[in-house]
Amino acid sequence: MFLNLLFLTSALLTVGCSVAVLAVKNLMHACVFLLGALIGIAGLYATLGADFVAVTQIMVYVGGVVILMLFAVMLTGGKDHVSKTQKLKSLIPAMGNKTSYLIGCLTALVFFLTQGYLVSKLLGSIEVQKQVDTFSPTVQELGELLITNHVLPFELSSVLLLGALVGAAIIARPRKARPQYEEEAEEHH
Amino acid sequence: MTNTIAEFFYQFEGFKSLVEGMNPVTVSVLIIIAAGALVTVFMATVGGFGTIAERKISADLQARIGPNRVGPYGAFQLIADGIKMISKEDIFPRDADKFLFYLAPFICVFGVVSTFAVFPFGSGIALSQMNIGVFYLLAISSLVGVGIFLGGYASNSKWSMLGGMRGASQIISYEIPVTLSIMSIIVLAGGLSFESVLASQSGLPHNWYIFHNPFTFIGFFVFFVGGLAETNRAPFDLPEAESELVSGYHTEYTGIRFGLFALAEYMEIFILCGVAATLFLGGYNLPLGVLKGTVPEQFLQFGTILIKTLALYYVVIWVRWTFPRLRVDQLMTICWKYLTPMAIFNLVGCAVWMVAFDGKSMFDLFFGH
Repeated sequence: MFLNLLFLTSALLTVGCSVAVLAVKNLMHACVFLLGALIGIAGLYATLGADFVAVTQIMVYVGGVVILMLFAVMLTGGKDHVSKTQKLKSLIPAMGNKTSYLIGCLTALVFFLTQGYLVSKLLGSIEVQKQVDTFSPTVQELGELLITNHVLPFELSSVLLLGALVGAAIIARPRKARPQYEEEAEEHH
Repeated sequence: MTNTIAEFFYQFEGFKSLVEGMNPVTVSVLIIIAAGALVTVFMATVGGFGTIAERKISADLQARIGPNRVGPYGAFQLIADGIKMISKEDIFPRDADKFLFYLAPFICVFGVVSTFAVFPFGSGIALSQMNIGVFYLLAISSLVGVGIFLGGYASNSKWSMLGGMRGASQIISYEIPVTLSIMSIIVLAGGLSFESVLASQSGLPHNWYIFHNPFTFIGFFVFFVGGLAETNRAPFDLPEAESELVSGYHTEYTGIRFGLFALAEYMEIFILCGVAATLFLGGYNLPLGVLKGTVPEQFLQFGTILIKTLALYYVVIWVRWTFPRLRVDQLMTICWKYLTPMAIFNLVGCAVWMVAFDGKSMFDLFFGH
């Protein structure tokens, strides 16, 4: 009963917030609804017994990604001032005519069929566990798998993250202004 | 011992006969809801008393008297404050973003209150005993940053905006040394739950993790300084620096919405001190195994964790009224150039210590057998 309750709440939160992300005009509000949807997805993970993944979802998306998106939206205006100043609405004739709608529908159809095919294949091949009765801790299993079977991707991603960190530090570093006399000396030569 | 609050009640005979005919799941859900409400109300009261403690202690430090009109020693000042805030007019800036403006204080409070779900008030007196409790606490408390940022943005005022931006960037930055310091304790304890951390400590200081090895001793201070910055306390209270930004991200808020921000801050300080006490200072463990396995022990444990937490709470207030505020660049320098390298050094040091000395503490090495 409790799991059903948790699932219903999380699913409603996810679906409702996802629809709201598309429905609202204000980008900032869309970001906040996205936050709700991501928390809902964390709830879905928790329903499936993946406690560590659920909390990591909150940690990464709430603590990092959404704040980053909020910052980006705020610094770039957030509202429709970009499309107004750049006159984007009047500049794109491709939106809203027959060709664009036709292409859009075709793309959607192809996408939907591919997804349906993949899902039907998956459903046939995997035995879906109907109900998780007892929660077993997943942290230890995850850790063991990371340093045994999946040690190469683990190490590679750590190198990638370190590279990103160093790159960010280099970009953010203030350029040292050269002393005045050096420039003057160069001009004389 | 009991695991959750529901099991805590089940150990009494009278309770068992009371709920005999009912579905155990329903009983558990009802108990969890009731206990959650109880903990929230209790913590809100603690947060309220935090404000009065802040005012009284600051008055003592500055040789003033402080609030002394409502109740003995002004102890009921928080009730007067609460009534005042609720009955105030709810002012809404004309150009503010209405939806986010109303939402932001609640996100802050939600993020803080959710952390109490895993906080161990005693063996078995925790709402839930997750095996990833520490990680959950770190993750859910990052919602406060979102709340502060949204509050600053939605107010549509320069001061609020600057405060909100400072708050968000400060919280994101200081999360790194704090998390790394906690990780060094996790390495020693070998588990992500509060229970595994507490099981390997005991009531007496020589078994506390702060004295386990030199690295954890430094780690405690890294954690505490980082925690001060994460809860926006002086000397890191740049998001609400009153001499520069009026009152930062909650400049435009009035009445109970401002009250919710303040309450969230004071409750967050409590949780910071509680986590510091649990991870480094032995938590709720009682020394010498007094009353082991009985119900009074659980209440004594509750008292123990409360005393340790409130002692740290006093230090936090003391620090606020002692040190001047930092500049923004000094704040970032402390985080990225000092605390983060120290935290990484501590983490590596703890891992090496675990391998080199087989996880024994300094006390065991010197005086052990």
